[in-house]
Amino acid sequence: MIYFDNSATTFPKPKSVFDRADYAARYLGGNPGRSGHKMSVRVADEVYKVREKIAGFFNAKPENVVFTLNCTHAVNFAMKGIMQNGGHIIISSLEHNAVSRPAFALMSSQRNISVSVAKVSESREKTISNFRSLIRQDTKCVCMMAASNVTGEILPFNEIARICKKRGICFILDAAQAAGIIDIKLGDGINFICCAGHKGLYGLSGTGVLISDGKYSLNTIIEGGTGATSLELKQTDFLPEQLESGTINVPGIISLGAGIDFIRKIGIDKIKRKEDMLCDMFVSQVERLDNFTVIRDNRKEYAPLVSFSYKKANSFEVTDYLSKRGFALRGGYHCSALAHTTLGTKEDGLIRFSPSVFNNQSEVRKLITELKKVNNIGI
Amino acid sequence: MQKSLIAVSSITYAMKAKKLLNNMGLYCEIQRTPKNLGSGCGYSIRVRDDLRYIFSILDKENITHKAYQNLPE
Repeated sequence: MIYFDNSATTFPKPKSVFDRADYAARYLGGNPGRSGHKMSVRVADEVYKVREKIAGFFNAKPENVVFTLNCTHAVNFAMKGIMQNGGHIIISSLEHNAVSRPAFALMSSQRNISVSVAKVSESREKTISNFRSLIRQDTKCVCMMAASNVTGEILPFNEIARICKKRGICFILDAAQAAGIIDIKLGDGINFICCAGHKGLYGLSGTGVLISDGKYSLNTIIEGGTGATSLELKQTDFLPEQLESGTINVPGIISLGAGIDFIRKIGIDKIKRKEDMLCDMFVSQVERLDNFTVIRDNRKEYAPLVSFSYKKANSFEVTDYLSKRGFALRGGYHCSALAHTTLGTKEDGLIRFSPSVFNNQSEVRKLITELKKVNNIGI
Repeated sequence: MQKSLIAVSSITYAMKAKKLLNNMGLYCEIQRTPKNLGSGCGYSIRVRDDLRYIFSILDKENITHKAYQNLPE
């Protein structure tokens, strides 16, 4: 199978990621931060090294790096932690359900919380203006994606974060599709970064991180054992343990450390250049096919993924067909109700092509050949 | 040199303190916090340099130290 579904999760992983995960599962026994014996402390040391790597990658302090199960958990911890006492929150019109559902759940469960959706427009300036115009006296938080998981569009998050900084509003960035592709750092208004560990950072599934600049303290939504302050009934109130109740995913975290090493070794710019080149090659070919429409706008910047549609069949039918022909692409709605509503693609969904650094031009050519067959003789 | 035990907030802060002090060429090891020094599960760092100096380093890096005791020679 040729895998072009790396926006869902990257595959394959670098060999070093598999090796380190295997090593952790076999040899890093003991529960870090719990038992205090040599095995436990050794694992804690390895976990801390990964915190340091992630902290260095995103310009954070190691103790402000919280390991989560995925990006969704990280977003929930940040958004609900900030909003528990009420207020107004702004999200974008392209948000993944990881952002929109917690926001709307908060609004439906608490009377003192309201949500506004800022339209992502044809120009960055207009999008920024849309966000700015929605800010109110009681706006407590802006939570938005760095890059759309549906179209790949890179949103003007740095500019909006700076506006939030000036207005004293907490800014939470969903970097699920951007981390490992775009150089993202805390600071200059970005208070929290939420990441999947298993996408562009090349860790195993079941990994994610919430990274804080330490400015805002969060209320918890999950409480439990943290290995600290054990005799107190009150939840530990400092990061990272405050948000890491229960045993952490040691093999996953160790694999994530290897993923970060892999990215650093190759370089973010080089990774993006290669994936952009594959996307450009794909777009230029598909655009020539009569019945296919590519969701791209030359005036915008994109993360390396491409969504497209086929006039004669819906996205599920196309990806089912491609799967039978040996290609893994994602059709449907990509867990993004807002994005597909905004794009007007709720009926048939979209087909998403998302390469990783491990794909090559020959694989893209094979997919193009298959799409040409679809165009000529149908599914 | 007198060895001392300093209780810190958590294993993460113990690790942070150890890396920091070791990188400065100072002795630091991690151990569980004994019952008389903490309230429940927790971690401490074992050091053997002047405590005022150690505390000044920890304070600079916002590593909260909860309690300490001198260890027998």
